[in-house]
Amino acid sequence: MERSFAKEIESLKLGEGEVFEGEGILAVTKAALQAGVSYVGGYQGSPVSHLVDVLSEAKEIMDEYGVHLEICANEAGAAAMLGASINYPIRGLVTWKSVVGTNVASDALSNLGSVGVVGGAVAVIGEDYGEGASIIQERSHAFAMKSSLWLLDPRPELGTMVDMVEKAFELSEASNTPVIVMLRILACHVQGRFVARDNRIPKISGHNKIKEPVYDLMRISLPPGTYAQEKAKIEQRMPAAKRFILDHAMNETFEGDLDDIGIITQGGLYNTVLRGLNRSGLADFYGKSRVPIHVLNVTYPLIDEQLNEFCAGKKHVLMVEEGNPDYIEQALNAILRKADLQTKIHGKNVLPMAGQYTADVVQTGVAKFIALAKPKGVDTGRAASLPDEIASLKGKAAGHLGTPVPVRPPTFCTGCPERPVFSAIKLAERDVGKSHISCDIGCHTFSTLPPFNLGNTVLGYGLGLASSTGVAPNFERRVISIMGDGGFWHNGLSTGVASSVFNNDDSVLIVMKNGYTSATGWQFLPSSPKNGRFEEARMSIEATMRALGVKWQRTVQTYDVAKMVKTLKTALTTAEKGLKVIIAESECMLAKQRRVRAERAERLRAGKRDIRPRFGIDDDVCTGDHACIRLSGCPSLTIKPSTDPLRSDPKASVNNDCVGCGLCGEIAHAAILCPSFYRADIVSNPNRIDRWLTRLRGAVITRLWSPEARRIGGGLAGAILEPEASSRRAA
Amino acid sequence: MSPRTTKAAKPVKILIAAMGGEGGGVLTSWLVNAARALDLPVQATSVPGVAQRTGATSYYVEIVPTPRTKLKGREPVLDLYPAPGEVDLMIATELLETGRALEKGFVNPKSTTLIASTHRVYSLTEKMAMSDGRYDDEKLLEAAKNMAKRAILFDIDKAAREAGCILNSVILGAMSGSDLLPIPAQTFEQGIRDAGKAVEANLAGFAVGRAYAQGKIIEAPTKAKAKAKQRPVTVDREAETLRKRIDGAYPGALRPLVMEAAGRCLDFQDARYAGLYLDRLDRVYGAETARSTVDVEKKGALEVTDETARQLALRMSYEDVIRVAQLKTRASRFDRVRREVKAAPEQLVRITEFLKPGPEEFAQVMPAFLGRPVARWARRNPAKARRLHFGMHIRSDTIFGFARMRLMAGMRRMRRIGFRYGEEQRAIEAWIELVCRATSENRALALETARCAKLIKGYGDTHKRGTDSFAAITAALIEPALAGAPFTAAQVAQAREAALADPEGDALAKVLAEITGAPVERVAAE
Repeated sequence: MERSFAKEIESLKLGEGEVFEGEGILAVTKAALQAGVSYVGGYQGSPVSHLVDVLSEAKEIMDEYGVHLEICANEAGAAAMLGASINYPIRGLVTWKSVVGTNVASDALSNLGSVGVVGGAVAVIGEDYGEGASIIQERSHAFAMKSSLWLLDPRPELGTMVDMVEKAFELSEASNTPVIVMLRILACHVQGRFVARDNRIPKISGHNKIKEPVYDLMRISLPPGTYAQEKAKIEQRMPAAKRFILDHAMNETFEGDLDDIGIITQGGLYNTVLRGLNRSGLADFYGKSRVPIHVLNVTYPLIDEQLNEFCAGKKHVLMVEEGNPDYIEQALNAILRKADLQTKIHGKNVLPMAGQYTADVVQTGVAKFIALAKPKGVDTGRAASLPDEIASLKGKAAGHLGTPVPVRPPTFCTGCPERPVFSAIKLAERDVGKSHISCDIGCHTFSTLPPFNLGNTVLGYGLGLASSTGVAPNFERRVISIMGDGGFWHNGLSTGVASSVFNNDDSVLIVMKNGYTSATGWQFLPSSPKNGRFEEARMSIEATMRALGVKWQRTVQTYDVAKMVKTLKTALTTAEKGLKVIIAESECMLAKQRRVRAERAERLRAGKRDIRPRFGIDDDVCTGDHACIRLSGCPSLTIKPSTDPLRSDPKASVNNDCVGCGLCGEIAHAAILCPSFYRADIVSNPNRIDRWLTRLRGAVITRLWSPEARRIGGGLAGAILEPEASSRRAA
Repeated sequence: MSPRTTKAAKPVKILIAAMGGEGGGVLTSWLVNAARALDLPVQATSVPGVAQRTGATSYYVEIVPTPRTKLKGREPVLDLYPAPGEVDLMIATELLETGRALEKGFVNPKSTTLIASTHRVYSLTEKMAMSDGRYDDEKLLEAAKNMAKRAILFDIDKAAREAGCILNSVILGAMSGSDLLPIPAQTFEQGIRDAGKAVEANLAGFAVGRAYAQGKIIEAPTKAKAKAKQRPVTVDREAETLRKRIDGAYPGALRPLVMEAAGRCLDFQDARYAGLYLDRLDRVYGAETARSTVDVEKKGALEVTDETARQLALRMSYEDVIRVAQLKTRASRFDRVRREVKAAPEQLVRITEFLKPGPEEFAQVMPAFLGRPVARWARRNPAKARRLHFGMHIRSDTIFGFARMRLMAGMRRMRRIGFRYGEEQRAIEAWIELVCRATSENRALALETARCAKLIKGYGDTHKRGTDSFAAITAALIEPALAGAPFTAAQVAQAREAALADPEGDALAKVLAEITGAPVERVAAE
């Protein structure tokens, strides 16, 4: 979708000594240019989408340096792109959301990790872990360990992040190994500053191409190469990496006067640890801590001698490592044991095994550690009392509130074209019964939340249909699978559709065709519409389905609920065997509104006629049952206090955010719900015919009002006739 | 050696609790840019997650009040997470989110200034409740006032609308006015000018926000809705007769309610119908005042009559197609719709109604001997009946559309011969009878019996379900209780609440089975 990143692009052009101010992920993008990358690739996903989004607009820079940008079909494609660095000394950076993206990329990563690289190969992954995460909770750490890739977890300060990305390329080249730079959500979104360096023009690029291919059997992942590669990982690459990490001081140690204790932390958690110490009275705001801190900007591999040196002479050391399992803590214990050091390691005994390490979690862990370690000359009382203070604060608030505040889960946007599909499923269920629904990843996963509560499994991106193939033959009714157009192109096309057709599976697939990968910020897809027109898309999902051999296929406009219900019922009950595909088509409303609003504003500015539809509810007809909300959940369909003295339940109400998608009317009809809804078409800059018609209608309608119709409201006061005021303004 | 810290160099910690799509990012960037303009070290981050949707979203900002040049090369370590108890300035763009911030311990009575909007954006769970699922605003307000060192609470949404700007500029103004930030107002104003979008409106909003925070504007406590303007009126003779009857029969405390209720019946049908309403209510009032020495003027002394007065009027003004057409063709509606959709005076508004009558709706207006079999058939074959509904899009602002609706409303005169009229009156009579009986035997039960009528509301399936729930509770608890079974009013209340817990009727079936010890079939689904 069209957005402007002009400001961001300007900051990518900064030169030596100039100050960059902006977001973390943009700083990483700048770091890639400073490191002289030749190619960049990625698959969108919060929190790293921005990297590719911005570069795809930065044509000027990319052309100048001859850097290629690939919008990859999925994360596997992005990881495979790093294959360029296997044989050629060129630097490349790819990005995706982790852990899910790394799962998809892992085949390519394993091969890449085995073969090794000669050019710097870096994957920047956005670790979506903890509060606000939208995916399964796992660590990406294990991927680095199993494939012998180096893992960086830099301190969340822009200068350090940028340095680490640049060093990652050097480390990759020095040790012939791809490097993963892991950034947590908050670090990607952090607003900070760093002093820029000049961008480096890559030696090999689109302007200066590779002349000859390099053939080397030992760089193919086939025996005998694979055996040699496995050995090289341990005998050459790992030692080289450790040497580089030590020589370039990639990990940092901050000394402190309480030298019989210490804290080792993942780089990404350093700020939280320091501030936790600050609140315990053991550090200031400027990195000066009384407790020595060793910061692991590289979390894999660990450098034994560095850790031994830090721990030597310390009675207690706290390992701050987010997530489960505690790989680093286990390794640390083993390293110290081998060196015969008796330092007691604390970690998951005072910190939680699972979940995000937020400020109070870390602070509580640090407090417990201090209480256990009892460093000399420190009053541990302050640290010890902090957790109680927080608990009492929360307790007090809970006491005032009485009952817990209701949650506010994410839901479909106002006017979302996917919502009507789930309304339709609810309505179809009334007639044909409930069936199993295999959901997929995308905005449509929200169907599993209230008010729809539709969906029985979610197995991964593009896997909606594939995940139904075991249950379908064993289920009483025909099962439904859901897939977005993003998921379809990501891998659902082959894993789902092709496989189902090949196996003659008998089920129903609904493809949500809204035109973009909307959940990650409206990135384009092969089937994205042009100016909202699907017929002008570069690739057609319908044609692809046909080519794959899908016989039963219907494209339905999502807002046509009645037709959708009918199509669904047919698909679920027809005698025809095989895969039945319903393509639920309508452009993402947010994308559409960005375009439509601008066009409308232009029309209004020019004084041209414009009609804006929106919905409303007659308060006096609504009885406050809210069945409409349970079938829709649209944010603009809300409630307001009742003004009826006889009824206390709040009335349904449509607020001014309504985009007039039409679902309310469709549901009122399809569900035979309630006559309270009306659609109002607001005509701006009406022409003469409009005005004349309105006057005429007003004049006639006024005469059609009987005295009874002129009552103001319900009560006896309302029963008093009110002859003039209303009729005058009827028009 | 302990680390040396200077008081001035302590960062100011600001947490903004917003909702996706409100543009909390814009607010944050204004703050960050202002700090940068003064060379103050600043860091901000956010957890947008799925931000374009309506989930709770928060932004955290730390600003060091000392310019970078005076820090002598020291680099502050700013946190990415807010710590409970440590936030200096807590912003909540909505009242429920304020509650969430309080719950998480971000508001410390010793140190936190709270700027929060008092308006509500209801969460889905509150909205989708079958009756009233709203969280108690009073509790939220009280908690906010009690938990904050200083609470700046006002309807920021309204203030922004009045200033014609976005929420954020008013909030920024309030933040500036709180005097907690090391940034002068001019810097913020310059930032708004530099951003170049809706500059005048945003500056106006900024000024309003500042004035609120400085106590220069004090929000008037929300008054009861201002009375409608007095307009020249002629008096309806029928209404006058009813008014006299009510004045003579009911105590002052009940009169406004009974007037409203009787008026509803007069409007629904005619004066005779309103008379029938009063006849019915008289019986309940009689029963309640007969039982003991009741002080009729005392508040709450006539709870049963009060509740019955309400529910009886609602039951008697049931929502059939005639009623809907009547309400939708009221003279005052055109203005109301224009207000509701916020149409400007120069804009025209076209209105489309969505009606989809089917066999049941037709049965309702048919004479009983025709209507009954049709209704019975429809009830037994819901899927087939559903197919016989036909959708109508009626343009009620056009002459033909409006005339059609008026014609429907005009069927009011024939309502009494209709099938539904008879059915409703029979059901109402039975219920009134039950209330009267209970009033003389067990007043608490009578009150609950009256309240149970609340379940009957809505249209189509919703109405069916409510009616069935009401019938189930009456048959399982109320009637047996009056016949001597040991069921209490509290149990009836429990069943009533359960009936409103889920549209599938699971909760009600469970509660009834628990109380009576006998399995009860669940009521129809939505």
